[in-house]
Amino acid sequence: MSVLIETMNEPTVAVTVSGLSKVFLGGMRKKPFVAVRDLSLTVKAGEVYGLIGPNGSGKSTTMKVILGLLAPTQGSTQVFGRDSKQVISRAEVGFLPENPYFYKHLTGMETLLFYGRLCGLAGSNLRQRAAEMLALTDLEDAAQRRVAGYSKGMLQRLGLAQALIHEPRLVILDEPTAGVDPAGSRKIRDLILGFRERGLTVLVTSHLLEQMQEVCDRVGIMAHGRMVKEGRLEELMAVEDQMELVIQNGDEALMAQIRELVNQSGKAKLVRAGHPRTTLERLFLESTAEPNGGDVGTSEGAEKL
Amino acid sequence: MNEGMPESENHGSPISPSMRVGVRGNAVKRIWTIATATVTQLVRMRIMIFLVVLSAIVVGAGFVFPVFSPEQQLKMLKYVSFGALQFFSLVLAIVATALLLPKDVEDRTLYTILSKPVPRVEYLLGKLLGVLMLIGGGLLIMDLILCGVLHLRQTMVLKDALLFLQQSRATEQELQREAEKILAQGVNWNMQIGVLAVFLKAAVVTALALMISCFASSTLFTVICTFCICIIGQGQELIREFFFHRTFDAAGEKLASGVLAVLVPDLRLFDVIDNVVAGEQVAAGAAVFMLGAAVLYGVGYMVVAHLLFVEKEL
Repeated sequence: MSVLIETMNEPTVAVTVSGLSKVFLGGMRKKPFVAVRDLSLTVKAGEVYGLIGPNGSGKSTTMKVILGLLAPTQGSTQVFGRDSKQVISRAEVGFLPENPYFYKHLTGMETLLFYGRLCGLAGSNLRQRAAEMLALTDLEDAAQRRVAGYSKGMLQRLGLAQALIHEPRLVILDEPTAGVDPAGSRKIRDLILGFRERGLTVLVTSHLLEQMQEVCDRVGIMAHGRMVKEGRLEELMAVEDQMELVIQNGDEALMAQIRELVNQSGKAKLVRAGHPRTTLERLFLESTAEPNGGDVGTSEGAEKL
Repeated sequence: MNEGMPESENHGSPISPSMRVGVRGNAVKRIWTIATATVTQLVRMRIMIFLVVLSAIVVGAGFVFPVFSPEQQLKMLKYVSFGALQFFSLVLAIVATALLLPKDVEDRTLYTILSKPVPRVEYLLGKLLGVLMLIGGGLLIMDLILCGVLHLRQTMVLKDALLFLQQSRATEQELQREAEKILAQGVNWNMQIGVLAVFLKAAVVTALALMISCFASSTLFTVICTFCICIIGQGQELIREFFFHRTFDAAGEKLASGVLAVLVPDLRLFDVIDNVVAGEQVAAGAAVFMLGAAVLYGVGYMVVAHLLFVEKEL
């Protein structure tokens, strides 16, 4: 019965950002800098949400406000229904900052024990959990080495391990693959896919748009501190003013005939027809292009009939 | 930024009351975790080599003043040793503290710590405790070495002095008097009050440096500011005198003196080393007064540090 009540109380929204604006006050002769303008978004529990945008678009600032590291100038953010300003809101959040650094004098294992203790873990439970996280991130062999000797990819994986040490329900990843080689990057992608399978909520930013395309359920595209597009990937990636035909066993002659038939009455059998897809990368560039910027060209994948 | 813990209401949140108690109840453990990590960090930065060098000075000081009278030899040993203790504790209090917070911000280690359920005040207290543990541990080691060397030197000096007096055919009373003079310069509890004073002074400076590092933009700025305030702090009594007992001509002068008198710690309160070296007994009341003053300064600086740090944009 208690389990049922808990399930009923379980919020379906992991992160809520409502009318968030963040202004950094400049120095005496500097103008204030508006990093985020009236941003609203929600991340549902259990989904992988990608926040993408060019450098300086306000992604990291948004993440920091969600984590309570920065105070909003206007609006509010909540994590599982708790205001981000409250320390308790971070109890179920794991965070991996961009290019993380840890205390260089500690070993990988000591680092995880340190972060675990901060989360209230102790004793054999903590040691076991730390060992599991090292295994999950392929750092078992480096567990007793000082962090000062870790490569960038290893630091990134250690960052993931510390983010997961207390079994959070929400994982926030800021550029998790920045500076990591393709193999390490793929490993991190697989871990994110694993999080989704285990029902964890993930909020992630990355410049590797193909990877975002692979792991995200929904994406929000930010530019100049504003959300310019948001939605499910398949919806966003559809090019609405074009049609796509998928033809089985077709050849040039048939294509000619189809064109002819479509021109006349459309009697030919269409196996599948719908909106051709662009790539997430192209969508990103189109959405964030400067008003006077260069032409990014027509959408890929649109076959002219 | 509101760092307060939530009240008892639960609006259908998945965070259970037991977890909330856990976040509250583990405050001491979290502070201890940050403190021990700070100690490990500083120890592994080879900072203790500094301690070894200063300890060598203490040992050396026991044997480099043979030309003085027996009593003066022991006084010089204590004088040099207390200087080394003071130097060790103040340098560590200023430099190590100034290094900690800006480095954590620069390395983004602070992000990963504060993104855990760690209130900012606990982070500050952990750092303060860590530096104090290191200074306290270092002083304890140096104190033990000082006591050992002083005892050894006292035994040697006493033996030589009595032998010399016996050869000079001194009376029993003269021997007794000389022995008392030398024994008064040996290891005693009065000396431990001196070590406590050195620690308390360093604790005040540590809290001050931590407060400055909460708004400083660099380690160097913190070091220079704290160093300057420490120098002014040695003359704080004069500033107070100037502020309270002089008729002022200019309002600005009065204001500046007032601000300095309030903000700068009176470090002369902790200067009992000269008395200890001279063999003068430091009253228990004076020790309690020093302790109270250190606690007041420490709490005051930490409150201001918290107010600055809690609003700091990371």
